[in-house]
Amino acid sequence: MKEKALQVLLVEDNAGDVRLLREMFSKEKPDSFELTHLLRMSEAEIHLAKGGVDIVLLDMGLPDGHGLDTVRRAHAVAPGIPMIVLTGLDDESLAADAMKEGAQDYLIKGQIENRALPRALRHAIERHRMQTETDLIRTHQMQFKDEFLSHVSHELRSPLSAIRQFVTILLDSLAGELNLEQREYLEIVLRNVKQLQSMISDLFEVTGVQAGKLRIELQCTSVCDAIVYTVNTLQGAATAKGITLSSDIECRLPSVCADPTRVRQILIILVDNAIKFTPANGAVKVQAHILEEDSNLLVLKVSDSGCGISSDLTERIFERLFQASDPALAGRKGLGLGLYICKELVTRQGGKIWAKSAPGQGAVFSLTFPIFSLPNLLAPALRKERRTEVPITLVVTEIGALTGWLSDEVRADRCREIRHLLQQCLHSDLDVLLPKMGFAGAVELIFIVATTDGIGGEAISKRIREQLDSCEHIQQAGLTLSTSYRSLEAIKRNASESMEDFLEKVATNIQELMNEEIASRMVKNG
Amino acid sequence: MGNKKILIVDDDPDIRQGMNVRLKANHYDTFFAADAFSSMVEARKHEPDLIILDLGLPAGDGFIVMERLKKIPSLAVIPIIVISARDVRVNRERAVKAGAKAFLQKPVDDAELLAVIRQALGEPAQPPEKLEVYDA
Repeated sequence: MKEKALQVLLVEDNAGDVRLLREMFSKEKPDSFELTHLLRMSEAEIHLAKGGVDIVLLDMGLPDGHGLDTVRRAHAVAPGIPMIVLTGLDDESLAADAMKEGAQDYLIKGQIENRALPRALRHAIERHRMQTETDLIRTHQMQFKDEFLSHVSHELRSPLSAIRQFVTILLDSLAGELNLEQREYLEIVLRNVKQLQSMISDLFEVTGVQAGKLRIELQCTSVCDAIVYTVNTLQGAATAKGITLSSDIECRLPSVCADPTRVRQILIILVDNAIKFTPANGAVKVQAHILEEDSNLLVLKVSDSGCGISSDLTERIFERLFQASDPALAGRKGLGLGLYICKELVTRQGGKIWAKSAPGQGAVFSLTFPIFSLPNLLAPALRKERRTEVPITLVVTEIGALTGWLSDEVRADRCREIRHLLQQCLHSDLDVLLPKMGFAGAVELIFIVATTDGIGGEAISKRIREQLDSCEHIQQAGLTLSTSYRSLEAIKRNASESMEDFLEKVATNIQELMNEEIASRMVKNG
Repeated sequence: MGNKKILIVDDDPDIRQGMNVRLKANHYDTFFAADAFSSMVEARKHEPDLIILDLGLPAGDGFIVMERLKKIPSLAVIPIIVISARDVRVNRERAVKAGAKAFLQKPVDDAELLAVIRQALGEPAQPPEKLEVYDA
């Protein structure tokens, strides 16, 4: 069978070099190579984008491209095509860098031996093929690993489910009274079942992190609520171990821009860890205050009086599968995923997490969240000069009167969908959809601030109603939805006023209107 | 007034038995099905007040069961609670869209299950039969 000619693209502006290379190709079997020659990088980019090239021979000094830049550009247009760079004698280190950027090989001009060129081309193509194959196998392996973990955790849940069911049936005396010893042993079983359950959840969470499935919904979140929730949840566990668990929260702490369920999740992991590593009669404390160095950040601290962490480990503990080397300190080990999950969650909410400690002196875990700031949210819509003197309309969407309405999670799901729908009603840079404003209970409020160019609240309100009405399953869920609007009088920006001050002024006005709105609804809904 | 009727659909006999003990203790009448086909048969026969539905079932999964139930007017109104070991991230939303009132992740917390059942049946929220917390 006759082999197809290899399509070679030569990008070279030096006529002498071109002639030499052409001569070399002419000695090869006819039809084994087909050479296309171009002078400029820009031409090469167009040609490569069209496809059909098997390999590129690239000069690194072109009229419109130089050095590694040429390699990057070629690689950007055609990442799947092998490349050999042509370089001068004194540029070998540059050529080595080119290989790091994705070139398969380099040839030194004037030093190309007879017959070396076709061999280099074929090797480069083969090497590239093998590399691609290895990458592909790796991707498949990672996918397989994720699917495998997901499958295993699923399969483990079913038998665990039955164990938990029957243990609680026994503990609740549904199968007869237990004596004290029996009760104690069954409580140990249940505790271990819960431990297994949380390990399985961690596994699920991690496969989610890796597959990019982590769902984070930023909103105006009260850190105090999260701390109170965490302390209440884990107080029992702390007391059982003889540990004092307390919190110290500055009053009038601002809200943060974060996902409330994720903040709770992070705190639970950290406080649970702290309790685990603290001996009896110790103390675990949760604190929160504004970061001194940056007033845009709120810092949360979980400190314990436990065994501490040696300084060389304070970073490594956040690695996946990291575990304390001395299991005696931690009692039973977990999977080593908790802190890794924490770090991922904090980072994805725009914060940082770090640990400070010394062995025997306890540990302090600190994490930051960006403070929720109305002026910052309004900034994109108000930045432009022409919009500094427009009337602002506040459209309020209320989701409420939840007949036949069940778990908080279902409600949260519906609210998420509605929020998504509202997002579609916005006029890109004129309107701002504000996050939920810390209003829990049977009614959810979602506000839209619209700085419209004369469309008016009525029009937006109508637009939103139409979107919501078209969504059948939201209707079926037994929800009531209402939208209403209120207009803020035009707020003028004084000539002497800075943009920051102006935004602050607008934000204060909006905040007042929203507070009024929330208060009136709370009265209305009891 | 007679007890409320609950149909438990799960292919795992241990789970069915455990659920039975728990629900009977809370004065519900229980019926069972172990696959998608028999769940329809049992639902027609008993017209339960509530269905507890697993997702992974032989002869068609829980989603198919919900789809079929929705097509029969007398059964379409029965509230459904989905209980599954499947990934909550993917399946909660899907289940709720398909008409489920709630999605609970296996292993289920019994107090939570009972609370959700009472809510779905429009019963007053009672304290669970025992209020002890077993968290260590």
